[in-house]
Amino acid sequence: MASLAPYWRTYAEFWRLNFLTLAEYRANFFVWLVFTLVLHGSAIATIWLTMNRFPIMNGWTWQQVVFLYALYWLASSLNGTLFFTVGDVPWHIREGRFDRFMVRPLDPLFQIISQPGQIWPDELIVATIFFAIVQGLVHLQWTIGVAGLLLGAMVGGAFIDFAIQLAVATLAFWVVRLDTLRWVVMSLETDFTRYPLSIYNRVVRFTLSFIFPFAFINYFPASTLLHKTAQGDYAVNPLLGWLTPLIGALWFTAAYLFWRRGLDHHQSTGS
Amino acid sequence: MIISADRLTKQFRTLRRKEGPLGAIATLFSRDYEIKDAVRDVSFKLDAGELVGYIGPNGAGKSTTIKMLTGILVPTSGTCTVDGIVPWADRQANGRQIGVVFGQRTQLYWDLPLIESFQLLRAIYNVPAATYERNLREFTELLGLDEFIRTPVRQLSLGQRMRGDFAAAMMHEPKVVFLDEPTIGLDVVAKENIRQFIARVNRDRGTTFILTTHDLADIEKLCARIILIDHGRKLYDGSVETIKGRYGRNRTLTADLNCENCDDVRITVPGANVVSREGPRIVIEFDRDAVRADELVVKLAQHYELRDVTIAEPPLEAIIRDIYQHGLGDGSVAARDGLLVTADVETVS
Ligand SMILES: Nc1ncnc2c1ncn2[C@@H]1O[C@H](COP(=O)(O)OP(=O)(O)OP(=O)(O)O)[C@@H](O)[C@H]1O
Ligand SMILES: [Mg+2]
Repeated sequence: MASLAPYWRTYAEFWRLNFLTLAEYRANFFVWLVFTLVLHGSAIATIWLTMNRFPIMNGWTWQQVVFLYALYWLASSLNGTLFFTVGDVPWHIREGRFDRFMVRPLDPLFQIISQPGQIWPDELIVATIFFAIVQGLVHLQWTIGVAGLLLGAMVGGAFIDFAIQLAVATLAFWVVRLDTLRWVVMSLETDFTRYPLSIYNRVVRFTLSFIFPFAFINYFPASTLLHKTAQGDYAVNPLLGWLTPLIGALWFTAAYLFWRRGLDHHQSTGS
Repeated sequence: MIISADRLTKQFRTLRRKEGPLGAIATLFSRDYEIKDAVRDVSFKLDAGELVGYIGPNGAGKSTTIKMLTGILVPTSGTCTVDGIVPWADRQANGRQIGVVFGQRTQLYWDLPLIESFQLLRAIYNVPAATYERNLREFTELLGLDEFIRTPVRQLSLGQRMRGDFAAAMMHEPKVVFLDEPTIGLDVVAKENIRQFIARVNRDRGTTFILTTHDLADIEKLCARIILIDHGRKLYDGSVETIKGRYGRNRTLTADLNCENCDDVRITVPGANVVSREGPRIVIEFDRDAVRADELVVKLAQHYELRDVTIAEPPLEAIIRDIYQHGLGDGSVAARDGLLVTADVETVS
């Protein structure tokens, strides 16, 4: 293992350059921010409208379902801030630009996530503010344990999100076009993380727990935090909420090993 | 010896597309692959400090070879080492010691001023501050970067961008530099600037270069040695002088005669032919080995008054074009002369 110095230096340089472009792309920044707010605002409005019709969903109040959303947003915006550019991999490969990452002395995945671009932590900040409001709605009782579980859910959840996106992007080493697959996985994630897992059938529950473990991003930690053990016919072990960092680490490791195989399979382009 | 390639082979496997109305679906489930031999059994050795031209027609396998030497592609069979490292087995160690310029594709950051790309590369390659400062100063001077170093890369002209790319590839002082068509699309002045830069770095720092190009003037100005490949196979590996000596045996003699009926001028020397005439100017092509130039001139002078005479050897371009078109098959002059270099005949290391 070579020295880590170039990694943190590059990473610091990457953030410096991101902020350098902020001034130049101010308009773009605001458009993104407004887009993000509208997107999440409408998702939250949908939840609110749905909850108006079914005031209690398997024992979850509307505040608690919104909390579920806030927790998911926290993790996914952390993933979006740190690892957003992994989604560019298929495009880099197809356009022949990926070769460059393979001839430099740092891990190509690290280079991908530290590609200077228009990446700012704006969404993470908004998501944090939103979470701060929502935790009041559900009267979260803060203890060291609660804070630890939340941190684990946020970071571990970001890694779950990242791992799934990395695995999908890695397929690009074998398959030229995978826009459809990416779209399917993304909707699976955004649609099924909105409501308590207990309202879905067994196939969905299994898929979201053990294949694409999005339930560990928000549902299991929220169940633990809000003491929701029995939900209709579905019983949730409160320990599951603590497993998010472990699941994140496992899935990320698997995705990374898959990625390494992908690198050796890289075929580049003809010109 | 700094680079050794041993029977490098790369096959690309592409799905054969199915025809017909359900072609796309059929292709999806098809196992019908087409195998393309991009590079086959290519071996060579390079000494540190060499500057070698790697040439061949379009699709010959040049870029594919470079990609194996730089660790981008894993070969189907065969192996190679770059200063003792197998590139694809340890990409990061290899990355530290090589520099790469792809003429078609920049490594600079589009939205950032040139200098910021250098800063980022400095961090990526962990270049010590003093080394970075010294190289930046030297490259800025040699490549004239100061006019545009603060300009965002997307606003640079192709020539400016290429100069920036060269500096970027050399900032960490690589031992070996791979150049894949580095002068493509440049004007004569920019080409000359780049060539001088390569020659200078090669001379002053002993950096080894492998260069692919379709502009043979690059080779004539820079390389003592060429490796020529076609259809993935190595055809020739040796000095530029030798290939010129063996293949470029034709000479052209251009003479301005003092003649009245210039159209009647005849040459009766066997092996020499008049290829064009234009007023008093006559151009004769002859085989250097069959005809002695002095005899030809004497013969001409016996019959006509000579105002001006020049004898030229063919440019490398014409020689290579001839090889691309007619190959070096077994019946060729090259094979008869024992010039066809096979994998086991190598330069000393
Ligand atoms: N990624 C790829 N997938 C499939 N075939 C490829 C790929 N890359 C190259 N080839 C094929 O391999 C052969 C060699 O290509 P290569 O790019 O090495 O040629 P080249 O000598 O660099 O040519 P040029 O002078 O046109 O750049 C070509 O027939 C090309 O079509
Ligand atoms: Mg090429």
